[in-house]
Amino acid sequence: MIELKRDKLVFSFPEVHPEARFEIEFERTLRIPDDGRDHFLPPGLGAFPLKHVDDFADGVPAGWLEHGGIMLPMHQAEAMWLNFHSAYIRGRGARYPFAVKIAAGKIDAVSGEQWTNGLHGVPQDYLVVPKQPWLDGFCVEKGIIRQFVAMPLGAGYTAEEQITGKGEIGGLQIVVYPMKREVFERRFPKRDRRDSLLEEQSCISMASAPDMGLAPGGRMRQEIYEDPFDFDDWDRSRSSRCFVHIANSLVWRAITGEAPPTVPPTAAVYTAADLPWFDYYDEGAAALEGSDILKQLRSIIELGRAKRETPVPENDGIDTPRVVRLGDRRSRNQVREGMF
Amino acid sequence: MMKHFGEYVRERREELRAKNPEFSLRKIAARIDVEPSYLSKVERGEQPPPSEAKIKLLAEALGEDPDALLAMAGKISSDLQKAILQRPQLFAELIREMKNMPDHAMLRLVREVRDGNW
Repeated sequence: MIELKRDKLVFSFPEVHPEARFEIEFERTLRIPDDGRDHFLPPGLGAFPLKHVDDFADGVPAGWLEHGGIMLPMHQAEAMWLNFHSAYIRGRGARYPFAVKIAAGKIDAVSGEQWTNGLHGVPQDYLVVPKQPWLDGFCVEKGIIRQFVAMPLGAGYTAEEQITGKGEIGGLQIVVYPMKREVFERRFPKRDRRDSLLEEQSCISMASAPDMGLAPGGRMRQEIYEDPFDFDDWDRSRSSRCFVHIANSLVWRAITGEAPPTVPPTAAVYTAADLPWFDYYDEGAAALEGSDILKQLRSIIELGRAKRETPVPENDGIDTPRVVRLGDRRSRNQVREGMF
Repeated sequence: MMKHFGEYVRERREELRAKNPEFSLRKIAARIDVEPSYLSKVERGEQPPPSEAKIKLLAEALGEDPDALLAMAGKISSDLQKAILQRPQLFAELIREMKNMPDHAMLRLVREVRDGNW
């Protein structure tokens, strides 16, 4: 079952476990410079608004209604990251594990393979939550992703267009599989009360087409972790999936009557204001090798140069940023107190 | 008896502060952009609860449900107000019908995200 709650996509599997609940937030962020350097994690600037496509049946393209799901607005060349959260199960000292497959334009962001509904262990085409706290882009090398950056479908920049030669799908596709209940209960046995307490302390006017897809932006340090469980631990008989349409912010107001969020600051302005970037590293986890398919992707800037186009408004480099090493709190949404 | 808004906020904040100094009166006041003296008065019940926007920020800062905190302050969220104003009689009737219904008897209305062909 999938619900929308306060701009979060909530997947729940009450038939598997009463507390098997997984949430995704689609976070606004800075576009990191696409300059060949490996950048730290940019901040979260708040969640994108999410709407049911069915609520705007008169305004959205017919294909969106056929896909179902939800929609969100993005400015051209705006970046996004996905923030994952799974429910903490009291008494077992653990969060419920999920296998999560993420694709952009039906290109798997981890393996680079074209979309299929099932899970694949070799090559691994999914993330394991809560081990993986977030995803910022396409896994192009071990420990490196290329940032998700919105580009209009049809312009040739999206991962989908670079790999398939067609720009027909766009958006994001997500499918979530819970761990089998008996496996969860075996792997995370009940703990006594004292242990638990200790742990707690610690278009319409269609001037432009609405469809956007995700293209590979700048390079960022981020490991995509290997599945630490057995492949058979996942309940592959149960899954929930959702199509997330990305509407060009220029037509969002025409579709919904509401203003899209403002354009985020540039990475250079943000860094010059001495606001923090983030670094996160889990020493106990093994990272996946990058996908050979995704490694071949050309970044927006590289492709723009070849096409003699200026696909993004600016691509200024940044000075050495102030970096916050993330510990257990793992929160990148700490910029609310900043000054611009 | 239901606690008043300020008393509840203070108890909750102090509980969190015992584990993390980020929940001091001064830090929380800064996070919701009010003066510490004002927040202190609200907590002591010497000032009425703040605006809807500030209550929502406070709920976020303390990890509380914004609707529950607004209700405690005698307010309802503006999106709910708008929804009620569109069909006031229907909502009034619904709430009166359901007000004494036990939780287990109340059918939770869930709107699922529809999946299609892709």
